[in-house]
Amino acid sequence: MKLHERFLQIDRRIIYAILLLVVTLPLVFRSPLKVTPMSPVEKLFEAVDNTPDDMAVIIDCSYAPQIKAEVEPMAIALLRHAFKTRKKVLVLSLYVEMIGLATKALNQVVGEFNSLALTANDSIIYGRDYVFLGWQPPPIVPMLGMGESISAIYVVDYYGNQTDTLAMMKGIKNYNNINILVALSGSSIPISWVAYAQNRYGLRVGVGCTAVSGADFYPYYQTGQFTGLMVGMKGAAEYEELIERRRGVEGRRIASEAMLSLTYAHLVIILFIIAGNIGYFISRRKQRRSQ
Amino acid sequence: MKKTIPLVLIFVAGLLGIISFVIPHPAYQTYDEWIRNSFLRVLSAFAMVLALGSLLRVHFDKIRRRRKNWQYSWLLLIAFGASSIIGLFGGVAADGILPTAIGSFHFDIQVLYENIVIPLASSMFALLAFFMASAAYRAFRVRSTEATLLLTAAFIVMIGVLPLGHSISKHLPMFVQWILNVPNVAGQRGIVLGIALGVVATSLKIILGIERAWLGGGE
Repeated sequence: MKLHERFLQIDRRIIYAILLLVVTLPLVFRSPLKVTPMSPVEKLFEAVDNTPDDMAVIIDCSYAPQIKAEVEPMAIALLRHAFKTRKKVLVLSLYVEMIGLATKALNQVVGEFNSLALTANDSIIYGRDYVFLGWQPPPIVPMLGMGESISAIYVVDYYGNQTDTLAMMKGIKNYNNINILVALSGSSIPISWVAYAQNRYGLRVGVGCTAVSGADFYPYYQTGQFTGLMVGMKGAAEYEELIERRRGVEGRRIASEAMLSLTYAHLVIILFIIAGNIGYFISRRKQRRSQ
Repeated sequence: MKKTIPLVLIFVAGLLGIISFVIPHPAYQTYDEWIRNSFLRVLSAFAMVLALGSLLRVHFDKIRRRRKNWQYSWLLLIAFGASSIIGLFGGVAADGILPTAIGSFHFDIQVLYENIVIPLASSMFALLAFFMASAAYRAFRVRSTEATLLLTAAFIVMIGVLPLGHSISKHLPMFVQWILNVPNVAGQRGIVLGIALGVVATSLKIILGIERAWLGGGE
């Protein structure tokens, strides 16, 4: 078999094996890559960073386990940013399947901060610094209902506490007290937040999404309906870079560590496509000559 | 009657949903709030019970009739029963009436979720990367001008979104942003407008009873 024919018939197991190697090896030998933050991520960072003391940030953790690798680093970076700058945080999920992931991200980041805290003031305390609202079906109910009253929709929080008895909730009544909602999702949930909560109540919406769905969200970002946009692993790495550079937030940068794997995976796929096309061109030329 | 009642219900519900967006009068808005915040939630709870009942019925039926792969239905039912008991009585923060730890071994709902659901779902989705790589290698052929344009744009975006893109040229990531912000948005807007018009047309057909496929019965 000639070389160009080999290019056309690379066994899929070879492709799988090479891809597996280039993805896993950089993850084993951790080496975070520095990224340059782009404007969509910077705008989201600034919106969260400029949250006034009397307002809160809502993080909607509506990402499923399937896209955890891409979106969880965003949730962790956002929570680290908010806790480091002492923003009030409300966390919720629109679907029950995602509640466990929201719990996991919260437990991790709260644990990180509290392990370094020396006093109660340094600590991240439930009810004072953050509230986990949990899940309230169907999604349209919290989307519209929180515009009138958050504690009327989430009468009890995820842990069963009366929401309106929590210290933080004394000043957080509805969307008027929310600076921005960041929807972390791989589906069209962020668009629903715009359609219901933004159109009716003027809620600012930021987005963290998978790389695949990123292209769908750019029209909303361009019109200003999305204040900022974090797309895929790269978006998460950019946010990690911003919070470390501007706010001195430390901690393991999962998305930045994965950038090397992502780089090699993209390059390998490009090389395979080029090889396939070289084989295709040579074969086509030979076919034409023989005709 | 079996068809008339659902049709009347859908007409009334659809109309009420639309009206709430065009009548800002406080009286109607209060009523709309009640519909959304109370009625819809109760309805949603009923739907969930119905869905769970339906799931159980389908799998019990599958086991009873020994249909293909009926053994897996046992797996589903056992997992369903175990996670329901742990979830209902173990508490969300392992603080329920059911003990969810034996020594240092914990099996509360969060532990089950983190150690079973997340790895399984993530693994299934991770396989997609391998299939996509193989499919891209086989399908991406420069057969026409359009295919060449598509491939060139794909390569630029794939390299430009990486840190490598910035190392090649500081203008490359900007160019990628331009591709996403201008040609991509132009195409997406057309698609979004088309979908929105389609949704409006279909919704009206359903509300007015022209489209009746959702009623079932093969019509």
